[in-house]
Amino acid sequence: MLPLTLANLKMMARNRSTTFWALFFPLLLVVVFGLFEFDGFGSASLTVVDEAKTPNSQLLIQSLSELEFLRLQNAGGGESAARAALEKGDLDYLLLIPAGFGEAPSPDPGSTSAGVGLLVNANNVEQNQLVEAAVRHLVAESLSKEGPGDGAESVPPSVSPASLSIESVAVTQVRYFDVVLLGLVGLGIMSNSIISIAVKISTYRSQSILKRMLVTPLPIWKYFAAEIISYLMLAVIQAAIILAVGVFAFGAHVPGNLLWLLVLVILGSIVFLNIGFILSAWANTPSAASGMGNAISLPMMFFAGTFFSTASLPWVLPYLAEALPLTPMLSAMRAVSIDSASLWEVWPQLAVLTGWVVVTGLAAIKFFRFS
Amino acid sequence: MEDAIRVEGLTKRFGSFTAVDDVSFCVKSGEIFGILGPNGAGKTTTLEIIEGLQRPNQGQVSVLGLDVLRQPAQIKARIGVQLQSSAYYDYLSLREILVLLGSFYPKRLAPDPLLKQVGLLDQATQRVKHLSGGQKQRFTVAASLINDPELVILDEPTTGLDPQARRNLWDLIREIHQRGVTVVLTTHYMEEAEALCQRLAIMDRGRLVAVDTPQNLINRLETTYTVKLVVPAPLTEDQIISLNGGVSSIQTVERNTYLLRLHQAPEALDTVLQTIVGSKIRLDHLEIGPVTLEDVFLELTGNELRD
Repeated sequence: MLPLTLANLKMMARNRSTTFWALFFPLLLVVVFGLFEFDGFGSASLTVVDEAKTPNSQLLIQSLSELEFLRLQNAGGGESAARAALEKGDLDYLLLIPAGFGEAPSPDPGSTSAGVGLLVNANNVEQNQLVEAAVRHLVAESLSKEGPGDGAESVPPSVSPASLSIESVAVTQVRYFDVVLLGLVGLGIMSNSIISIAVKISTYRSQSILKRMLVTPLPIWKYFAAEIISYLMLAVIQAAIILAVGVFAFGAHVPGNLLWLLVLVILGSIVFLNIGFILSAWANTPSAASGMGNAISLPMMFFAGTFFSTASLPWVLPYLAEALPLTPMLSAMRAVSIDSASLWEVWPQLAVLTGWVVVTGLAAIKFFRFS
Repeated sequence: MEDAIRVEGLTKRFGSFTAVDDVSFCVKSGEIFGILGPNGAGKTTTLEIIEGLQRPNQGQVSVLGLDVLRQPAQIKARIGVQLQSSAYYDYLSLREILVLLGSFYPKRLAPDPLLKQVGLLDQATQRVKHLSGGQKQRFTVAASLINDPELVILDEPTTGLDPQARRNLWDLIREIHQRGVTVVLTTHYMEEAEALCQRLAIMDRGRLVAVDTPQNLINRLETTYTVKLVVPAPLTEDQIISLNGGVSSIQTVERNTYLLRLHQAPEALDTVLQTIVGSKIRLDHLEIGPVTLEDVFLELTGNELRD
């Protein structure tokens, strides 16, 4: 078994196209995501906690929602949940409208109506200036009107400092690049494991190399063990190179335990290798195997949340996405390496992945054919 | 001496198709045994059952005294197999492939003397894809010898080779045989079976038609001579009928080329020649030849002649 494993590794090293595609595509994406600053792009998210529920507060929310660069998110769990989201970096802005907002202030300047609070992510300096200015303007505008029906009044908008307080919240920011880097590790392993084993085995079958192995006394489980071990080693090397480029060339932050990450990489690779074995049984030619491998790995790449969160997908798609083997692999990989979780904390993902190992393993044994 | 292979009542069906139909034969230790037959005769299926690649539906097969179903691993360790059109790893050199294959066996030979024996030592560091057709076949034979087997099974070793490469391979097979290795090979070339094999099994459509030495098979035939006629214009019906008088069969090989098979020479030969002269058949070419295995095969299996 050892000579066969070593021979497999030797062949992989000599087969430049395998090595190239195992690394080229993921590394290209690492470079793309590393060079472009995706964190600065797009709209910022804002949650409004409205305790006033007055015409003025409604007007404020209405005008905020019309701003193109702000995306209003529902405050599902109230102020505390929104604060937590902000601290985790999941939310960019939190606007607190206190009870009594917009009601006629008492003539005493010392007792103005309660001020609006804007909580911002301290990391987004440039964006914060823009959003602060916009919110300040809209708060003033909404206060200057008595209500929606009273828009004729043309008092220039101004707001007393007391009516808008800004709080900058220190956020342990997770960069999008860190998240996507782990996605790319998973993507590289998935597509390489599925496609290269499917192509290799169908090539070996069409050239009778599998049969040639069968006429030797080598027990067949040793043959598969050698194939799987050599591909697992390739997957680990692949993961190490992609991570290293992300960390050293583009400053990704991967503080977690690499040993846990290794466990997840191996577990995930076994699932994808099994899928590759299954495909090789269905494909009659190597090119059919390659096509099938792509047909499975490309949709999985998107639906497993390699690049984008799949939570906003319509219909039952988010649940389907959860069921894909790459999804728990990626979420567990991100948890252990970015949030420094331990393996025990990601047990649900581990359980799903292990289930996939068993199911695909049994299917591979059932469907595999030598000729 | 113990038989190297015993096959008794072997039957293999694929669905409703019977690939091997109640076949029995023995291969004696130390002989070159050929299985001759056209494509689809069941030669490869028979070999694959002997090699342990397929399970028979019925029948017993033992190899080197071991049962193929009960002791496949022991058999595999002691036999060498060359598969029909089997390729080898693209990214390993010849020497590396032999070392790798050898690692699967309890007993193995050094790769370089083996490569030297098949005349490929200079190519030891090359890849299989850079070899010529003849070199490739010699390499697959070398690969089948890596475990120093007592029996080698070669499935159509010379198919697709040019005549020179084929003769080189014959020499190699004879050399292996002279070292005391039992050789079983399949072929659909009559002259190959005749030149190489000490005993022959003739298969057709899954059935075993005959097993004997090539000479005995030929002697068994009623046909004793063949006469080939090449004429400038096709023969008329009448001419064919008159020729057929003393002849067992007449076959149109090509337009203007006819093959006559004679039963009782020299009387039949005399009749044919007289008919040719008498019916004023003009000849471009006339060839009188001995019977070959080709004729044996046609007589035992074929109805192409009598259609």
